[in-house]
Amino acid sequence: MIGVREVEPTPLIVKKDILQAITTRSLPNAEVSESETIKETIDAILSGDTALLIDGCDSAIIISSRGWPTRGIEESSSETAYRGPRDGFNETLKFNISLIRRRIKDPKLKVKMHKIGVRSKTDVAVMYIEDIANDMFLREVNKRLDNIDVDAIIESSILEEFIQDDPYSPFPQIENTERPDAVAASLYEGRIALIVDNTPSVLIAPATIGTLMQSTEDYYSRWPIATIVRIIRYMAAFVAVLSPALFISVTSFNPGVLPTRLAFYVAGTRVNVPFPSVIEAFLMELTIEFLREAGTRISGPIGTTIGIVGGLIIGQAAVEAGIVSPLMIIVVAVTAIATFALPSYEVSAALRTYRFILMIFAAVLGIYGVMLGVIIMATHIVNLNSFGIPFASPYSGLGLTDGDIKDTLIKVPIRNLKYRPKFTFPRDKRRMK
Amino acid sequence: MDRKNNISLNQLEALIITSVIGVGVLTVPSVAANILGNDGWLVILLGGLLAIPFIYIMNRLNRLYPGRIFYDFGKDIIGPYLFNVINFIYLCFVLIIVAFTVRVFAEAIKVFLLNDTPIEVIIITMLFTCCYIARGNVESLARMAVLILPIIVIITVLFAMLAVPAIDFTNILPLFRFNFGDLKNIFKGAGIVFFSYSGYEIMLIAMAYVNEGKKSVRYSIRAISYVIIIYLIMFFVTLAEFGVYELKREIWPSLSLMREIELPGFFIENVDGLILSAWVLVVFATIGPYLYTLSVILSKMFNTKKHNLFVLPIVPIIFVLALIPQNLIEVYTYMEFVSKYLGIFVVAIFPTILYIIALIKRRREKCT
Repeated sequence: MIGVREVEPTPLIVKKDILQAITTRSLPNAEVSESETIKETIDAILSGDTALLIDGCDSAIIISSRGWPTRGIEESSSETAYRGPRDGFNETLKFNISLIRRRIKDPKLKVKMHKIGVRSKTDVAVMYIEDIANDMFLREVNKRLDNIDVDAIIESSILEEFIQDDPYSPFPQIENTERPDAVAASLYEGRIALIVDNTPSVLIAPATIGTLMQSTEDYYSRWPIATIVRIIRYMAAFVAVLSPALFISVTSFNPGVLPTRLAFYVAGTRVNVPFPSVIEAFLMELTIEFLREAGTRISGPIGTTIGIVGGLIIGQAAVEAGIVSPLMIIVVAVTAIATFALPSYEVSAALRTYRFILMIFAAVLGIYGVMLGVIIMATHIVNLNSFGIPFASPYSGLGLTDGDIKDTLIKVPIRNLKYRPKFTFPRDKRRMK
Repeated sequence: MDRKNNISLNQLEALIITSVIGVGVLTVPSVAANILGNDGWLVILLGGLLAIPFIYIMNRLNRLYPGRIFYDFGKDIIGPYLFNVINFIYLCFVLIIVAFTVRVFAEAIKVFLLNDTPIEVIIITMLFTCCYIARGNVESLARMAVLILPIIVIITVLFAMLAVPAIDFTNILPLFRFNFGDLKNIFKGAGIVFFSYSGYEIMLIAMAYVNEGKKSVRYSIRAISYVIIIYLIMFFVTLAEFGVYELKREIWPSLSLMREIELPGFFIENVDGLILSAWVLVVFATIGPYLYTLSVILSKMFNTKKHNLFVLPIVPIIFVLALIPQNLIEVYTYMEFVSKYLGIFVVAIFPTILYIIALIKRRREKCT
């Protein structure tokens, strides 16, 4: 502003370089740039900027004057934590970037802007810490972003579909979160964040099973508790995939696995049930899926009512009518709860898909069939890559012996995590001396 | 990406362990007991030690041609025509071994888990499941091996721990009853047991993808040592449970032992179903690499870039081969025959001869 006052109204300067004079001295705006082509100017205007054209000058001045309706910074409703920051991303790219910047006051934190979408021209920011993140990922991310040819990117999941390694897999190969603290922590691990304008969910690459099973809250609670919670989470994953299939195979093929009294008890509860256990299981699983869908469509108090009506009344009525055994209700309910215990919604959705496949395998070949199903699933998982990193890391080898397990299956005290995880091949390996 | 298709040393180690332990673990105790009675452990140990020189040779051979697999660089050593014959012998050997492995596996599953299911169904479903991983690359095999290795360790530990209350350690005695007159018998026996250690041929492929070639010898020998330890545990536990006379008569002593274990008051009373279903994974980790080897050999013989074209067409051949033996006894007779006359060439003689020729060739090249 002082500069404006300092302008000397000598016609000589004005005549010589009017553009220079205006941009540097007389425009009281923080972001001013020049544009030389019409295309660029149009793009800027469409994004909400102002173009200043001066007679006799061969370039336009772009003045940043973007203003749009924004939502305040609120707590994310899908990722709540007991302890930890309450701020969540919103739909504005700039706010999101500054939320991350607040947590990483490092000149090496870089933001590279891309415009993706022929028509939508969505801003996508690639964020990374230059001396931690490996070039290999950066090159790959940039290459994949440049290869995208689509007219619109509405949400980050669409971008995710274009840049993930295996588009046919049910598993997410890129993490997403609405929590700035989670993004900042990932950047410190040497990963790369992709922030898409108009959406609060930020993508983080690469992702592995290990990282997808982490939750921000693990880091804000005491380590023994965090460790137990982690292990329980893995157990929940196994329960979510396997339990109905195992129940089917035990009741209809291999009751010998159970202790004799339990086997008789199980058989006793199923005496009056007219269906084989497969049909029973499918009936109940489908009911649960209907309930889940209904619950997401109608949120708020009615949604809760539907949950209660569905869970309690239908279950009770089904047992009393004698079409489903009470044990099956328990199995299905526990499975549904276990599904919600996973931190990543995408992972639990993928496991849900496999659950149905395994149930079919169990119905055909019993426990042996379940194992075949597990093998197929495991094969798919080991075949998966996330930006060239094995998706099954660290359990499939990469980083397994280098201590990545210390922050995946278990969680050791922070001061013992001297090194950054191996799977990102960080350039700066040490976190602390 | 820069780091495509390479295997770390730990993955190599896991891959060797999981490829070797498969159906061999079922029979090793009774085979050893039949040869040397209470001192069968000596045969198991010697058989394993016998594998070490060949592992060493395979390592050295692969290091002469870094980044290439054996079935490919062999033709540089002895010429494409002769080497195609050798490739064909490897092909036949692996085909037969896979067929019999899957047959024995299916018989065990039928006895213990699926009494009414036709054996053909078990064989074909297992083969198709293994196809999926064989169509991938060697890196997925290695990753899978790392995932499955803990299961093998857990099974072995569980197996030993659960059996302890039921077994009688005096059955192990008397030890060291052999004398020098048995020496011939011991070595013959070690030769037979040696084939329970076959499966490390996967190194001929996997070594090409290991970057740190120098250390790989140590890791692969360590892998075989772990296998020896697991076999020894199996031997001693079954011997202590059954005593030497009964052990000789058992076909699958390890599985019979699991049937006898009861866990009163525990949630799962009969562990055999549980352990057998985990064992499905172990067998899969054996058949998967074999199928992969088969398809790779075929792709090298027909000079194709991709190997996965050949995975599905070989399944029917294996299926038919697996059904040829009338019963389990025949399977084992055939298996012993094949291992004796074909196996010795495949896992020992061919790599050694090729290594010597390659060395001589290298010398000459250096001189000229």
